[in-house]
Amino acid sequence: MNTNVTYFIVPLIVAALGLLSCSSNPGVAADAPKPATHTVAIEDTSFQPAMLTVKAGDSVVWVNKDPFPHTATSEAGRFDSGIITPDKSWTYTPKTKGDFAYTCTLHLTMKAMLRVE
Amino acid sequence: MTKSAAVRTGVAMKVPAITIAGLLFVSATWASAQAPTDAQIAHIVVTANQVDIDAGKLAESMGSNGDVKKFGQQMVTDHTGVNKQATELVTKLKVTPQDNPTSQSLKAGGEKNIANLKTLKGAAFDKAYIDNEVAYHQAVIDAIDKTLIPSAQNAELKALLVKVRPAFVAHLEHAKKLQSSLK
Repeated sequence: MNTNVTYFIVPLIVAALGLLSCSSNPGVAADAPKPATHTVAIEDTSFQPAMLTVKAGDSVVWVNKDPFPHTATSEAGRFDSGIITPDKSWTYTPKTKGDFAYTCTLHLTMKAMLRVE
Repeated sequence: MTKSAAVRTGVAMKVPAITIAGLLFVSATWASAQAPTDAQIAHIVVTANQVDIDAGKLAESMGSNGDVKKFGQQMVTDHTGVNKQATELVTKLKVTPQDNPTSQSLKAGGEKNIANLKTLKGAAFDKAYIDNEVAYHQAVIDAIDKTLIPSAQNAELKALLVKVRPAFVAHLEHAKKLQSSLK
């Protein structure tokens, strides 16, 4: 009888300690935050904000609020949305760190920067 | 000579067609006479876009250079989008666009440009179309800055003009790039 109880209790204690150790170690959560989602508005023939800093693994959504098409195209060929029609969006999840200058291939006056840390 | 006068003179020297005459009229005449009303500004905006849509449609079909055809197609798409936005706003504001001498001059200039382009083919067509696009967009920006934005009374109409201005600047830069590549 005692032996049976021990079989139950010991794993329970181990499990509880395990949970305790996890919850009492905030460093684990800080090292692996959930990826964030950032939005860039394409409006008035410009990218807003023109400079966006994200973490590798975050998502960036470009939303076209203009009444005509645009693209979000990396000048170094890292990413290319293709045509984003009005009221549509395009999502990209950068994995590589670095500064990525991008433009709209239809409106070359549109310049912006995506910084991935 | 002021900067705007230099621009106007440059434009007039480059493009004999009277396509831009209406916009020069906007800049030169409205400023010294009475300012256009919101109803007239709305009509000028829609007409200015339509003139460029019509020229773009012609370039889509008659252009010989692939980039020129694509530019024409983009002018149709972009200016149709701007006109949709402008029409939605004036509908919301219950403003009825009012015809006026500037709109009539723009329309007549656009028709003359198209008649001229239809007589041309190949590289000559491409050059004439793009030269006119450079001058036209420059003249539109000039009119937006000097007359349309300062004259607009309704805040939303003024805001729309400010919002669409960068598209005209982008088109001007694009047209200039094509102009130098065609030389």
